[in-house]
Amino acid sequence: MLWRESGQIRLALETAFNDILDARMGGLPIANTALSVQAIGFNRFNEDWLGVLLTPWCMNLLLLPGSDSTWCGQASGTSIERSFPYGTFEFTLGSETLLGMYAQCSLFSPMFQFADQAAALAAAQAALQGLLATPEPRGISRRDLLRGTIGKH
Amino acid sequence: MNETFYDVMRRQGITRRSFLKFCSLTAASLGLAPSFAPKIAHAMETKPRIPVLWLHGLECTCCSESFIRSGHPLAKDVILSMLSLDYDDTIMAAAGHNAEAIVDEIVEKYKGNYILAVEGNAPLAEDGMYCIIGGKPFVEQLKYAAESCKAIISWGSCASWGCVQAAKPNPTQATPTHKIPGLADKPIIKVPGCPPIAEVMTAVVAYLLTFDKLPTLDKQGRPQMFYSQRIHDKCYRRPHFDAGQFVEHWDDEAARQGHCLYKMGCKGPTTYNACSTVRWNEGLSFPIQSGHGCIGCSEDGFWDKGSFYERLTDINQFGIEANADAVGGTAAAVVGLGVAAHAGLTALNRSKKADDKQPGAQQ
Repeated sequence: MLWRESGQIRLALETAFNDILDARMGGLPIANTALSVQAIGFNRFNEDWLGVLLTPWCMNLLLLPGSDSTWCGQASGTSIERSFPYGTFEFTLGSETLLGMYAQCSLFSPMFQFADQAAALAAAQAALQGLLATPEPRGISRRDLLRGTIGKH
Repeated sequence: MNETFYDVMRRQGITRRSFLKFCSLTAASLGLAPSFAPKIAHAMETKPRIPVLWLHGLECTCCSESFIRSGHPLAKDVILSMLSLDYDDTIMAAAGHNAEAIVDEIVEKYKGNYILAVEGNAPLAEDGMYCIIGGKPFVEQLKYAAESCKAIISWGSCASWGCVQAAKPNPTQATPTHKIPGLADKPIIKVPGCPPIAEVMTAVVAYLLTFDKLPTLDKQGRPQMFYSQRIHDKCYRRPHFDAGQFVEHWDDEAARQGHCLYKMGCKGPTTYNACSTVRWNEGLSFPIQSGHGCIGCSEDGFWDKGSFYERLTDINQFGIEANADAVGGTAAAVVGLGVAAHAGLTALNRSKKADDKQPGAQQ
């Protein structure tokens, strides 16, 4: 799948996961009926597209491959690590017919703790903003200074 | 002067290079930054070694079997030489009265300064006659050894929760360590699992011995560093769960493709343990990877929670992506708009890689 811009990605994700909600999640006690499928963000981050996928049963950080992404050829279930200003996260690869390969990192599952879509959306936005924000610097030690490791954590 | 851990290791023929490697491995398995390795090394070079008295009650010895097969041979050798396993009926050399005398010797010589490791539990019915050690009920030996110990490790689900011998109707009144009436009030670390993961066991011992303090425990008394996430949270089959790709029958195409086992009764969503990250047999595999759902063996009362193949339907049992403290067996509080942003950031921090966190930071 060739991803070109965030609007296309959000639409594809919402279509695919609404289909999943209708076709595969019926009768399972894992969906919060107050929530609906929504894709948030999906702008470029390095070679990938980064966003949050919110569904009635889970909320994940999601990476979709750009044309230079190196992980698309790997098997579903493989872990990859990605570093962000907030820290390093482990993503697990998954695939779906309509979407091709993607990489996910779990934030919530299930979603019963969210009262409504607005609350879930606020959590998703906070997580995405937090991920890209630089954390407050740690106390700087003389050792870090001499080793030149300041700012590398 | 008392021997240090390092003295003991050198005496056992472990090279300094291996020792330093062990310190790095221990730091990694504890989720600490590599900069902690020298601190561990320093502690082991300077602190006198603490004896560990390892008692066995009603159990199957799977905890010991797991422990001595710790994935990394180095970790196993080092930990076994660190531990003064003078009394462990699976691997000690002594027998009979000589063996029982060792318990007295450790209790007297190291009063208040040894770790008591308990594998299995004590049956209380018929005055404890269902488990007799050296001619006396095990519960008496346990109370006696606990009286003078520094801290207690409850190995496995038997000592932590009761496990199969405490399953209903529990005819022998098998009772986990922390519920033994009259047991001395000592800190108890629960390391549940049937058995617990070997690397988790060695890391808990290494932490206790090197830092000389308890690891951070959750409200149920389990080390947070290994029991703060569910199998589900880090399961490699998790994308299948989220995409509704479920195994419906044991021999269907989805089973062959390795899809999610939730519908086949997998207890991963309610089980707190490190199987999906640390895995077993040198990180080779774990039950879900071999095609069977998690049976939740590290959870309290797992034998009495219905069939291993029954689908989880009690949604209150589902945790949120929180540690066990926040779930506590009840439905989590519903989050409204006001605190949702905080919930999002908390989840983000929890999902971050462990070795990327600050030591001691909230999991």
